[in-house]
Amino acid sequence: MKIGHFLLLLVCLLPAACDQSNSVSSDQTNSISVSQRMGATPDPGFVRALERREFNFPADHAAHPEYATEWWYFTGNLQDAKGAAYGYQLTLFRVGLKPGEPATDSDWRSHQLYMGHLALSDLDRARHQSAERFARAAAGLAGARTQPLKIWLGPWSIESAGADLFPLQLAASTPQLGISLQLQAGNKALVLQGDSGLSRKGSGAGNASYYYSYTRLPTRGKIRLGDQTLAVSGNSWFDREWSSSALAADQAGWDWFSLQLDDGRDLMFYRMRDKQGQAQAFSNGVLVGVDGSVIRLGLDSVQLDVLRQWQSPEQTTYPLSWRLQIPGQQIDLRIEAAFDDQEMRHTVRYWEGAVRVTGSHKGVGYMELSGYAP
Amino acid sequence: MTIPGISPLLLRAGLNYQLRHRWQALLALVGIVMGVAVVLAVDLANSAARASFALSSQQLQGAATHRIVGNAGEVPAELYTRLFTTPGHPPMAPVISARVEREGQAGRLRLIGLDLFAEAAFRAELPQAIRGETSVADWLARADALALSQSAADALALQLGGTLSIRYQGQPYTLQLLTISPEHSAVSRDLLVVDIATAQAITGMQHSLSQIDLILHEDDLEWLKNRLPPSVKLIDIEQQTEGIVGLSAAFELNLTAMSLLALLVGLFLIFNAMSFSIVQRRTLLGRLRALGVYPAEIYRVILAEAFVLGLVGTLIGFVLGSWLGEGLTRIVAATVSELYYEVSADAMQLSWLSFSKAGALGLLGTLVATWIPARQAARTPPLTTLSRAALEDFTQRQLPLLAVSGLLMVVIGLLIAFLLPGGVISGFAGLFIVLLGAALVTPLGLPIAHGLLRRLPLGGVWRMATRDLKRHVSRLGTAAAALMVALAATVGIAVMVDSMRSSVSDWLQDLLSADLYIAAEGFQQDATLPQAVVLQAPQLIGVAGFSLYRDNTVQIGHHPTRMVAARLAEQSQAGFDLVAQVDANPWQHYQQGELIISEPLAYRLQLGPGDELLVPTPQGDRAFRIAAIFRDYATEHGRFFIDLQHYRELWSDPQVDTLALFSASVDGYALQQAASARFDADYALQYTDARAIYDESMAVFDRTFRITEVLRLLSVMVAFIGILSALMAVQLERRKEFAILRALGLTRLQVSLLIMIESSILGLLAALFAIPTGLALAWVLTDAIQLRAFGWTMPFLLTAAPLWWTLFIGVSAAWLASLYPAWQASRRNPASQMRED
Repeated sequence: MKIGHFLLLLVCLLPAACDQSNSVSSDQTNSISVSQRMGATPDPGFVRALERREFNFPADHAAHPEYATEWWYFTGNLQDAKGAAYGYQLTLFRVGLKPGEPATDSDWRSHQLYMGHLALSDLDRARHQSAERFARAAAGLAGARTQPLKIWLGPWSIESAGADLFPLQLAASTPQLGISLQLQAGNKALVLQGDSGLSRKGSGAGNASYYYSYTRLPTRGKIRLGDQTLAVSGNSWFDREWSSSALAADQAGWDWFSLQLDDGRDLMFYRMRDKQGQAQAFSNGVLVGVDGSVIRLGLDSVQLDVLRQWQSPEQTTYPLSWRLQIPGQQIDLRIEAAFDDQEMRHTVRYWEGAVRVTGSHKGVGYMELSGYAP
Repeated sequence: MTIPGISPLLLRAGLNYQLRHRWQALLALVGIVMGVAVVLAVDLANSAARASFALSSQQLQGAATHRIVGNAGEVPAELYTRLFTTPGHPPMAPVISARVEREGQAGRLRLIGLDLFAEAAFRAELPQAIRGETSVADWLARADALALSQSAADALALQLGGTLSIRYQGQPYTLQLLTISPEHSAVSRDLLVVDIATAQAITGMQHSLSQIDLILHEDDLEWLKNRLPPSVKLIDIEQQTEGIVGLSAAFELNLTAMSLLALLVGLFLIFNAMSFSIVQRRTLLGRLRALGVYPAEIYRVILAEAFVLGLVGTLIGFVLGSWLGEGLTRIVAATVSELYYEVSADAMQLSWLSFSKAGALGLLGTLVATWIPARQAARTPPLTTLSRAALEDFTQRQLPLLAVSGLLMVVIGLLIAFLLPGGVISGFAGLFIVLLGAALVTPLGLPIAHGLLRRLPLGGVWRMATRDLKRHVSRLGTAAAALMVALAATVGIAVMVDSMRSSVSDWLQDLLSADLYIAAEGFQQDATLPQAVVLQAPQLIGVAGFSLYRDNTVQIGHHPTRMVAARLAEQSQAGFDLVAQVDANPWQHYQQGELIISEPLAYRLQLGPGDELLVPTPQGDRAFRIAAIFRDYATEHGRFFIDLQHYRELWSDPQVDTLALFSASVDGYALQQAASARFDADYALQYTDARAIYDESMAVFDRTFRITEVLRLLSVMVAFIGILSALMAVQLERRKEFAILRALGLTRLQVSLLIMIESSILGLLAALFAIPTGLALAWVLTDAIQLRAFGWTMPFLLTAAPLWWTLFIGVSAAWLASLYPAWQASRRNPASQMRED
């Protein structure tokens, strides 16, 4: 589950986004409230995720323009040679502006738009920097292709070295920050989320997405913070999702956790919230064993409690400390933001950052909190 | 009322004098008001035109520091993609710009195609126009999405959702207004903002851009330079002069010349009004001196008085000038809109500089004009001051000295204009000095005229009138000089425009020697001829020769420069007026790849035949030898011809824009019939004969200079009123004298005649002096200033019309000025008039 559900609605708010298409600083505040956009529904001309599908790789790693939104979502926890910890996020979103093929009157005409978010968290210094950029998927400015796989937005790119998905090269930079990382396949296979990859997000037909993940990808490479370039290594998490659904009228947002535990297991869980802040039945998750085996988690098997709130400079209150219990698995975790201010203040405002896991198990991870910003 | 250093008694005496001579005071005031008003009005119009242009270009340029332009006019869109996908690229924005026509309407609109996502860093105002009701989906995906500023929507009378039909090179396109920017930016009244994809669809620039705007820092320059292909050039926008979006230099020159004219006329009006007001009071001043008043006291009171008069005159002049300026601004705006971009009069703001200039002229001019005669009056012994004869003697003794220094100034002015380096400024400085010098010589004309006319066997009133010219030099001299200045300036500009017009006309006729021109429909750049037409047209029956042209723009120095690749028939070659050539066979060299460059280009780059010109080609810069220089008025920044064959090899561009055919017989129409029969079924072609192109070109020329006519007429009118008031003041002062003449037995008619003859001779004299002066000015304007501004040289042409005009205006202004005094002198009872003073 990712921020991308709002992207459908982003289409109507992009004029404001344009103001910072070249912006790179982490403290841009010209963002738009997520909840304002919730009522919109996608154009009926887009295909909806109604039933399970036969995934076909590598084609499904690339774009699905018949759906309204899609994203390639990378997060990860890294360490440099001295043991200092960093978190990163690189996301390329595809937004379908209109279904169907564009007019052929110009090379620049396109019905597809790409938005990119790049963020680096310096955990020791509690410093979060992020950037956003946009481009139309035309004239080679942005797009996706297979053989070898490449998703790009200007100079930001996700690229396979050869016919196989891995090793996968991530590259994105701004004058202030940059990443250049190589992701290996690791030991765990692709995990189909939800019902064989069909992930329901709300009531109503088609309010679902196709969703799969790679939960633990050994990662090596370089990050750059200002003038300082550091060699780093760690693990990444790669989420793929596409759909034409929107949040239902009563839904406010979600809380999403991707945790890599020290015992080798990985845990994903998202909680859909209604406008009263109550968890909804569409909440869902998986526990991935060391060998890649998958245990599905519903709302009834997980107990989630907020331990601490934090108020952002924009006066938005986010729950940054959680207790997550899975009684059936003897799991009782305390999930704590690595530091508080990892808010993404861009066209869409949300909190996305590195977390530390303690309790019954130790580990690292990423957390995404959406629908809190007014 | 007390003013430090000035005796209240004296001040009262001065004011009383002014009250008793209300007419004179009023006329002096009119002189000041007119002087201030005309300077202010012309200056307001000029500065408003400039400001509106600056604003408009700034708005388009945005925050960009640099720009990538194509050596062959366009930038490959692929270059933008390549840079955009390279890590570390600086902020950049693709731009497509074009002029389009509104369906069924005259005038052009600017179409600008932008990428919404790239714009934020560049032109804040333009993305703002895309905010509002519309969604980005509509903006990007719809092929007809249009954004306008509120003022543009108003100007085009478009509501949200309304459609606008435009044409680009004859091709229609319909846009729908999706969003209106709330900002009221009057300069964007004609700016149509569309997505870059839409702009590409409209202009047909499928794989290219007009330019790429950039915001570069020091490091970026290095980054970028290694990544640009040789077919494009990086331009530093700040270093670039007005070449791209500024006012045309010709228009600018026009406005400057008009400002100068207004300044001079204004200055002389004021000088004349004030010096006369002192001169006529010499008797009073003499009496005061005789009564024991110190010279310094008189001096001060006169200056204080002049200051009050100057202040009142200046303030009224401000009001009148603003009003006149508003009208003028509207005319300038209309001309600018027609020739360049749509600008509106309401976009033009009042310039404080204009007010300060006019204010300084009004106050300082008044004080200086007063200071000279006041000092003279204050210094002269009382008895002498009382005597009118002494004044006239003194003035007459001064005349030769004045004239000699005047002549010296004329010579110095000419030297400055022609020899001193310093561009247009020294040209105008020289012009100014020439005009002042000539003004100093003019009063000498009065005794000379007397000397000549008294030999004529004429009757009593005539003799009296001619003698008066000499007797009243102190009063009439300045008036004559003022009239002369106003007339000379108008002669100078009229002759300049005439010379230009006839040079341009000759040049066009020489160059447009072909019988038939064929171009693709639209007859504009970018519309190229089908290859089949290019190959077959020369084979048509009756064709004696043909020329092929391909127009392009390359960046040379800081200016985009037109490059014409041409295969020229011998008949076409003959149409070139070569002013310098490397040897006897420049056209042979041309065919071997050397260039024929225009005079403005040669002047701008200081190049001569045999020198080399560095031209950016798709293969990088290349040096070409110059075979000859030809006279050309086509462009201000110059252009050059290159042989078509060589061009094709270097630029890999096989296209032809225009084809010129020479007929074997005299009948050009038969040729057109033949071409039409052969091609019309398959192609949309436009046939034009030389006459039509000539007419169109001359119409553009006339539009450019129409504003000159308007301004000139205004200056003449103001000068006319000024002179009228000055002469009227002179004649009214002599009421007593005329009354004595009546008492001595002259009839009413005789007195009226006397006054009218005197005035007319004065007018004629001023006009006669104005003609050589005006010709000298025209000479400076054409041969010094135009050359410096454009590198143009043009044969000097003298037509009789402006000269007759000058005589007519001079005499009629003077004659009209005499009507009221003549009527008054003849009407009133001489006895009462004699008592009045």
